[in-house]
Amino acid sequence: MNVHVVLVGHIDHGKSTLIGRLLYDSESVKDERVEEIQKLAEEYKRRFEFAYFLDSFEDELKEERTIDTVSLMFKSTKNFYTITDVPGHKEFIKNMLTGASHADVAVLVVSALEGVQEQTRRHLFLVKMLGINQVFVAVNKMDAVAYKREQFETVKKQISEVLRSFTFGTDTIPFIPVSALEGENIYRRGKGMEWYEGLTLIEALDRVNRSEVKKPLRFVVQDLYEVEGEKVVVGRVESGTLRRGDHVIFEPSGTNSEIARLRVFGSELEEAMTGDSIGVVINESGVQRGDVGGTIVNPPLPRQEFLGEAVLLDKKLERGERLELRCGTARVGCEIKEIHERINSETGEVLERYPAEIHEHDAATILFATKPVVVEHFADIPELGRFVLVKNGRSIGAGVVLDV
Amino acid sequence: MSLKDLENKSIYIIREAYAEFENPAVLWSTGKDSTTVLWLCRKAFFGTIPFPVIHIDTGYKFKRMYAFRDRIAEEWGMDLVIARNEAAMKSGVGPKSGKFECCTKLKTEALMQCLDKYGFDALLLAIRRDEHGIRAKERVFSPRDKEFKWNYRDQPLEMWDQYQAHHQGESETDGTVHTHTRVHPILHWRELDVWEYIKQEEKIPVNEMYFANAGTRYRSLGCEPCTSPIESNAQTIDAIVEELRTTKIAERSGRAQDKEKMFMMQKLRALGYM
Repeated sequence: MNVHVVLVGHIDHGKSTLIGRLLYDSESVKDERVEEIQKLAEEYKRRFEFAYFLDSFEDELKEERTIDTVSLMFKSTKNFYTITDVPGHKEFIKNMLTGASHADVAVLVVSALEGVQEQTRRHLFLVKMLGINQVFVAVNKMDAVAYKREQFETVKKQISEVLRSFTFGTDTIPFIPVSALEGENIYRRGKGMEWYEGLTLIEALDRVNRSEVKKPLRFVVQDLYEVEGEKVVVGRVESGTLRRGDHVIFEPSGTNSEIARLRVFGSELEEAMTGDSIGVVINESGVQRGDVGGTIVNPPLPRQEFLGEAVLLDKKLERGERLELRCGTARVGCEIKEIHERINSETGEVLERYPAEIHEHDAATILFATKPVVVEHFADIPELGRFVLVKNGRSIGAGVVLDV
Repeated sequence: MSLKDLENKSIYIIREAYAEFENPAVLWSTGKDSTTVLWLCRKAFFGTIPFPVIHIDTGYKFKRMYAFRDRIAEEWGMDLVIARNEAAMKSGVGPKSGKFECCTKLKTEALMQCLDKYGFDALLLAIRRDEHGIRAKERVFSPRDKEFKWNYRDQPLEMWDQYQAHHQGESETDGTVHTHTRVHPILHWRELDVWEYIKQEEKIPVNEMYFANAGTRYRSLGCEPCTSPIESNAQTIDAIVEELRTTKIAERSGRAQDKEKMFMMQKLRALGYM
């Protein structure tokens, strides 16, 4: 199984080191890279660091912090992992979101020395908002607290409280005491932690389950091509299955047609599954980029208003402001009709109701008024329940659809 | 990811680029990765690549690369654009001028001149995250300013599959003017994936230099003076796939420009290198 894991947490709690250790212990690092890093460490007069496998910018080494997100791949005996490191500094939340948006599961890294810190909370809030419900906790730097159980329990209690405040169910979340530096409880059982009888990190990750919920068909239109004199609507099946002969409604254009043929280069298909990039031939015209197709049983509906929760990465966003909303391949004008709640993205606390504006790093529940566009409840069809906000050609925020 | 997933995502990216930009082009070195990207373009557009294919010619490529280029360009009916920095080539720039200068003048500047001439607003490139730590930090859609600079400290938000097309001349709030956007359709592939895909597809042509001859083969193709082969007995695609499953040698170990100095790749890329 392919599993995409993101490591989140506060700066200096050891995310990059932990990933470096996972790569090293799974024997995924090329010899040459190890030598290169040994040379680097000498040049910078530092000790050999596993984090150097990930932090490739010269600035990252000089500043001793991760600036940009990076994804690496490794295999365990059971799964194939893409593992994403994100910066733990508030300045780089944009890069954290970029990295975390692809993840199936999150590992929250918390230092046993420092416990819960600002980005521990903010990252967890954002992980929850992005709909990543499988979370693991790695209490790191156990070597620095002499592998003491009491310290682990203290930090565990702190984290549990934060998790509960963000409505994660703590009973099923594994808490693993680890030392990324020494490699304890990551691949091998931890020395000095005989009191811990739970799973190692890799054992916990290997048990990840991805239950696929059956979802209705949503086919997102990217473009219209003319192939050998035939009009072909190209796009991707975001959810469900599309079969030849299906009656499909495309919204917001309102085109209604039978799927005459399903085309890929060099052949034709009887059906296309979730994730497939395909072309369809239909008998009607009017379909446009940005349209979403679905069957009559559970059709996509064009909306002109919806409630979303978003996080802002720009200086300010005001009630009444006009922006571009992107969802699937749709790009439509939208207006911030009302800001229901301004939320502290670190604590989840509601700071203000119906404010006139929100500020950088605030989260908010917002009522959007839009040109007709297909958006779905994030809880039902996440692929079309998430959006990006664009202002002057720049992505300034992202969020999920709470209600339509 | 399965080969099917990898391919689906790449085709989605290629179609997004084609929908979002007015005048895109794809870069082709004739190597395995960019030939795979061309093949994915053919799949995305049902056989014909609807935009030009650029080959940056430093004059130092292997003869067998030129022969391969001309043969496949003909077979696939490409609109091939050859980019050469004639002035620099005449003035004698070469590996002896220093690798940094040579790569910058003959590759990066040749590309700049070509973009100037044709006005391309998007370039499809076959870089992959697993090739090099610096390339791992890339976005799928990555804007460049008029000096071709890659502002790696302030990269755009790129969540889910929402790729932000930065249009020519569009000014960011900080006053940066974009000349083109780099589009990376196989950023998420690994070297092994590329070979397994070539094996599966059967119709992707492969330069013979990748196959072992007298105990060595090329694992990555570049300019003749700066590219060396690795020890290998892999004479078939199957043998290469097998070799890659077990090797601990880095893919670009035979590429001199990556290694001359620490962070050379970062510096080259910050100046617009691929």
